[in-house]
Amino acid sequence: MEILPSITIPAHLVSQVQSKLAYVDEVIASAVVAETGDKISLTLHRKPDAALQNTLNEKVQFVVEQMAKGSFQPKVEILEDHAAHAVPFSQDPMPELLASGEVSKEEIGIFSFGPLFTRLVDYFEARFLELADSFDAKPYRFPTLMSARMLDRVEYFRAFPHSLTFAAHLREDLDIINRFAEQAAYENEGLNASMDSFSRIQAMLSPAVCYHLYFSLADQTLKEDTIIATAVGTCFRYESSNLTSLERLWNFTMREVIFVGSKEFVLEKREQARDFMRPILDELGLAYHVESANDPFFIGEFRKQAAFQNAFQLKYEIRARLPFKDDTLAVGSYNYHQDFFGRHLNINLPDGSPIHTGCVAFGLERIVFAFLAQYGLQPQDWPVSVKEALV
Amino acid sequence: MQSTHPELLQNVRDVIAKILNVPLADVPAEMAFGDIPQWDSMGHMEVMLALEENFSVPVNADTIGELVSVPLIVEYISQNTHA
Repeated sequence: MEILPSITIPAHLVSQVQSKLAYVDEVIASAVVAETGDKISLTLHRKPDAALQNTLNEKVQFVVEQMAKGSFQPKVEILEDHAAHAVPFSQDPMPELLASGEVSKEEIGIFSFGPLFTRLVDYFEARFLELADSFDAKPYRFPTLMSARMLDRVEYFRAFPHSLTFAAHLREDLDIINRFAEQAAYENEGLNASMDSFSRIQAMLSPAVCYHLYFSLADQTLKEDTIIATAVGTCFRYESSNLTSLERLWNFTMREVIFVGSKEFVLEKREQARDFMRPILDELGLAYHVESANDPFFIGEFRKQAAFQNAFQLKYEIRARLPFKDDTLAVGSYNYHQDFFGRHLNINLPDGSPIHTGCVAFGLERIVFAFLAQYGLQPQDWPVSVKEALV
Repeated sequence: MQSTHPELLQNVRDVIAKILNVPLADVPAEMAFGDIPQWDSMGHMEVMLALEENFSVPVNADTIGELVSVPLIVEYISQNTHA
């Protein structure tokens, strides 16, 4: 089915609108926005009748208008450009990863990893820990579950409702638990249990690591002016039909270095982190660039929030080249949240002002995938530092 | 410091107070982004859109990052309109 948007989608929004169309209706299997921004092609799970076509057209036009009407042209700044770095591989590593058993798919967006992939994850993480060590970052361990109450306090439901993953349990009711035990089965692509068997939602699966640190500091005045922490955690972001290959996982791992302090402190540490990581990323042989970016806010918040992030240069992404598709993949980011968490969670510095926060985050599966997309699975083709560490 | 555009200053304060849904008295002439909880990131973007609508001045990524106080907004509007 094809839809002509009521307004032409500006070039800088084509991929962002396309990714949001996955959430328009469950009947949509995939959506493609033409590079020219004047045509949208939907692949549907079933043949649409006139009523469905009408509904889809209305919903798609709504998304386009919300995201594109009056949008601000972003200021894309390339802070570092190492994308021309020569790499020896140009094929999609996924078929070989699957065939060799190094990657196995459990469900859409859910993968298990074999020894080679795991060693690479461990090695890359160790290199990122050098950054944490350079700051003498204190280690933390955070849960996989995250408080829904606290996520509400930081307005997460407004900004990223589409990517939430909910944790539920059966209600404390003997009849319900017994009925579930007797009848529960996986059928028609889901559990057959009725939704009223489940508890009210108190917890989510964590969408980010650093939030846990801020939540642990909520409603406090800090005794010290600064905190630098590091933690690794499993994160969950549902991305619907955008969950392809290892580029977008529902369940993934992030290593973060987290900064808490004054504005000047956090911004200074963010820059120091970039300076520290540059030679490491070069030694790893990655072809990449660092550019200003925005988070994938949902439709209603997108236009304003994305423009604000861009205008204040709050997010820089490390984007590694994927030679097989002539595209790039975000494998890490340098983030500054201003005093957003300080204000929303009532966390103050000793002088009474709200904390400013920032973090450096690395997506471990993604960076290994990008590395394998640039160097292949044969260790003899890898950069010396990686080869020597693993072979 | 006294504004060289008192009428424009008053109009800007009126617009900001209305957009942020606060009393005019809570928008002093020197107020800046972040001084009150309502002028947060989302509030700032509402203010920027209101400037575009009420004063017909261009708002883009540069101005969003630069117009972070009442005096800067007044100065920008005075330089970008023929009023």
